Amino acid sequence: MIAAVCIDDRNGLLFNRRRLSRDRAQQEDLLALCGKKPLWLAPYSAPLFDWAPERVRVEEKFLEQAAPGDICFVEDRQLPAEKLEGLILYRWNRAYPSDVRLELDLSRFALTERAEFSGTSHETITRERYTRKED
Amino acid sequence: MAKQQTKTIHLTVKQALLVVVLLIVVSAVRWYLTPPAETYSMENIPPYDGTPYVVLNDNQPSFTEEDMTDVSYEFYSDLDELGRCGVTEACIGRDLMPTEKRGDISSVKPTGWVQNQYDFVDGKSLWNRCHLIGFQLAGENANECNLITGTRYLNVEGMLPFENLVADYVKETDNHVLYRVTPAFQGTELVARGVQMEAYSVEDSGDGVCFNVFCYNVQPGVEIDYATGDNWLAEEAAA
Repeated sequence: MIAAVCIDDRNGLLFNRRRLSRDRAQQEDLLALCGKKPLWLAPYSAPLFDWAPERVRVEEKFLEQAAPGDICFVEDRQLPAEKLEGLILYRWNRAYPSDVRLELDLSRFALTERAEFSGTSHETITRERYTRKED
Repeated sequence: MAKQQTKTIHLTVKQALLVVVLLIVVSAVRWYLTPPAETYSMENIPPYDGTPYVVLNDNQPSFTEEDMTDVSYEFYSDLDELGRCGVTEACIGRDLMPTEKRGDISSVKPTGWVQNQYDFVDGKSLWNRCHLIGFQLAGENANECNLITGTRYLNVEGMLPFENLVADYVKETDNHVLYRVTPAFQGTELVARGVQMEAYSVEDSGDGVCFNVFCYNVQPGVEIDYATGDNWLAEEAAA
């Protein structure tokens, strides 16, 4: 399973149990990476993709149900580090308040690609793709 | 007898006039000497402990049902007798957001503007003209009722992240956010101790945006006299 997460300048994920930001261009980019496979996500994230309901699979236990190679969009929980085959990190390149931050040792992953694109409400969004290093 | 009565009435008028004059003088002196009521109670605000803000009331803002509206507006209190800003409130919608870059605001000198430079402060200048309702939210430029003397730290570490959160949400959803910023002045102090920021997204009943925080008007490494705005290098920073 490959996890996709969005973080701010301080690795923030949530503030007061709510996402820090959102951007339609990031959502489109993520769906494009999924190709013909569905994007797995939690009920909390489903409203973000209500414009493409046929492209997503919404399950509370989506991290357990996703198959190898599937992409899971994770907003409201920490990542299961041991299960990750890879990681897609979207950086908002802005600062927000946060009380939940990404807890993941990135040194266990190898950066394979970095790209930048303009968002609909963000000047520049950075997308980084990682694969798990050999143990 | 009649003459005596007339004389008594005459004295009473004079006395009444004297009393009126005295009352006016006493009132004026009292008004001058009595400090204005606190604009904000710091009773529930813990001392600054190294983080730029503290959560209030479990992040629940105090907007009422009557406050709920999906029509954009903005409100700025008049300056008080000391020239200080008061509470500002808005319903932030896309139609309120700026369409042009921010203009020059250097003509405004908020109360307590005693500027000094420090090498360790981003941009060196301690004081920023801090928008109560951020420019990116309502597009207010040099509105003196919306600008307070705030540290770089308050502006960038304290307030800006919350403004970013609200701005992104409004841009991406076209929804509205009730937004209130209250500067906390103590007594006759010219510099606010901080600002309370409250926000609540209207159309989704706070699912998108909901916070209530107090951001401290401090600058690590700098001592501030809030009465005047004077400031100097903190002893520990000097050491």
